[in-house]
Amino acid sequence: MCPEPDAPLRVLVVDDHPIWRHGVAAGLEEAGSAVAGTAGDGAAALRVAAATRPGVVLLDLNLPDMSGAEVTRRLLAADPAVRVLILSASGERQDVLDAMTAGATGYLVKSAHFSELLAAVRSTAAGEAVFTPGLAGLVLGEYRRLASGSTRHRGGPGTPGRDASGRELPAASPPEKGRPAGEGPVTPRLTERETEVLRLVAKGMTYPEIAALLVLSPRTVQNHVQNTLIKLQLHNKAQLVRYAMEQGIA
Amino acid sequence: MVEQMWRVVAVFRVVTLAYAAFLIIRDHGRYVHPAAGFAALAVMFAWTVVTVIAYARPGGRRNWLIAADVAVAAGLVLSTRLITSASQISAGAPTIPASWAAAAVLACAVAGGPGAGLAGAVVIVAADLAERQAVPQSTFSNCVLVLIAGGVGGYVVQLGLRAEAATDRAARSEASAAERERIARDIHDSVLQVLALVSSRGRELGGEAAELARLAGEQESTLRTLVSGASAPPPGDGLLDLASLLEPLGGDARVTVSAPAGAVLLADAPARALAAAAGEALDNVRRHAGPDARAWLLVEDEGAHVIVSVRDNGRGFSDGRLAQAEAAGRLGVAQSIRGRLRDAGGHARLTSSPGQGTEVELRVPRT
Repeated sequence: MCPEPDAPLRVLVVDDHPIWRHGVAAGLEEAGSAVAGTAGDGAAALRVAAATRPGVVLLDLNLPDMSGAEVTRRLLAADPAVRVLILSASGERQDVLDAMTAGATGYLVKSAHFSELLAAVRSTAAGEAVFTPGLAGLVLGEYRRLASGSTRHRGGPGTPGRDASGRELPAASPPEKGRPAGEGPVTPRLTERETEVLRLVAKGMTYPEIAALLVLSPRTVQNHVQNTLIKLQLHNKAQLVRYAMEQGIA
Repeated sequence: MVEQMWRVVAVFRVVTLAYAAFLIIRDHGRYVHPAAGFAALAVMFAWTVVTVIAYARPGGRRNWLIAADVAVAAGLVLSTRLITSASQISAGAPTIPASWAAAAVLACAVAGGPGAGLAGAVVIVAADLAERQAVPQSTFSNCVLVLIAGGVGGYVVQLGLRAEAATDRAARSEASAAERERIARDIHDSVLQVLALVSSRGRELGGEAAELARLAGEQESTLRTLVSGASAPPPGDGLLDLASLLEPLGGDARVTVSAPAGAVLLADAPARALAAAAGEALDNVRRHAGPDARAWLLVEDEGAHVIVSVRDNGRGFSDGRLAQAEAAGRLGVAQSIRGRLRDAGGHARLTSSPGQGTEVELRVPRT
């Protein structure tokens, strides 16, 4: 999958804890990756990324100046080719989900083995989603939340459906027929197969195990899993645009 | 709050003293013993000074002083009998201290709540009734007012005290949460980072370093649970967030907890039943699934139901070997899990096959 296995990965390590930052950077270099740079906050991450064009950004969610979702959004806006791998301590589920729907490709807990971290960096560089069970649980939960039509507890995107002039959108205009009012134009849904696969990932099964159980190819399993995330990211983007239009920003 | 109430009592006492003085000066010509009337006024003045000064400090609010307060007021009410004529009293003339006597009742109420307030009021009313042969309507109304003042005044003070205590508790818990957060941040910034790095890098080095890494990893997750746990405030309404309840179970490096981003709210009893059952299922994994087995815990909120699945990749067992499992004590635990779920109105399902691990699905309806 890796297009050029011999080309060293260029990784930007973003974490506000110097000990962790340097430890991880040293480990990555030992493993043969080129560390494009390190940064201790979001603003520095954006500056260093602009200057060094890394392939993968290893992003801690606890930055002093901006949220992980914000950093992810801005990194991708500056360079759509960059891949963002989220690292977080446990107990930051909403922050992780926000960063993932903002466009990050993978999520790993900080307590993961270093070998898992290396593997995750490599597959992120190759454009594969790093779908840990924790992430599968978050994505499943997000689809259920969207399906139930409950609003987010955070502001911004997700505000109820009104058009630019503030009129209520008709509930059954053609493209959103049957969709609950209050969500974006198209509320993403999981297919039965996707739900099945995501639940198995969340329960710790590997792609080959799932493939064997459901009589699919591992490749198909991976496609299903990645689709679920891409649909959420597109939905998030559409809502952001919509929100910006409502606010008269765009 | 209490201090304000004591100030109200003091102001009330001074104002009613002025009123009593006005009545005595106006009516002394009609008294049988005018001099005694002025003597009573002097006593009231002296007693007002004593109590206003004594009650100003918390240390001065002794029970015996408050009892004496009621006694003095009752005595002055009874002295009306000696100072004025029986016919005047029976016609409904005010007592010598008039409403000043109610200050002692208020003191009782502020010091001891509705019970004490009522008791003080009963004493004053009894003294008032004792010195009269007939009870005209105005006197009766005054007596009822004094009783109400004692009871209601005490109740209001008690409410105020409770509100004050609640505010105090809230402020203290907020302060301790802030302190906990600060400590958590400090630990996160230093100790946890080092432990995480040692555990992560040590495993790569292998050998003795791997053993150190394992220890560091265990300490890291324990410490992480310690500093992050219980920091989230309860959502109220008697509801618990099942996800935060189960998150500490992921402290073991072999256990992964997955949950939706938002809170999974459940009533207290079913939430605790689910958490306890999930904990037992994990204990079961540790005991029976083999030393290398890992476990995954998934929390799903389906609206009408909340589901917790616990899966391991351990040895597993076939249906035909349930009897063997029973002998191994495994079914006993399964039954205990089933019991907990039944109590919460839900049910547990156990599936397993040899070499494929075991999965327990715990399902509880939302009522």
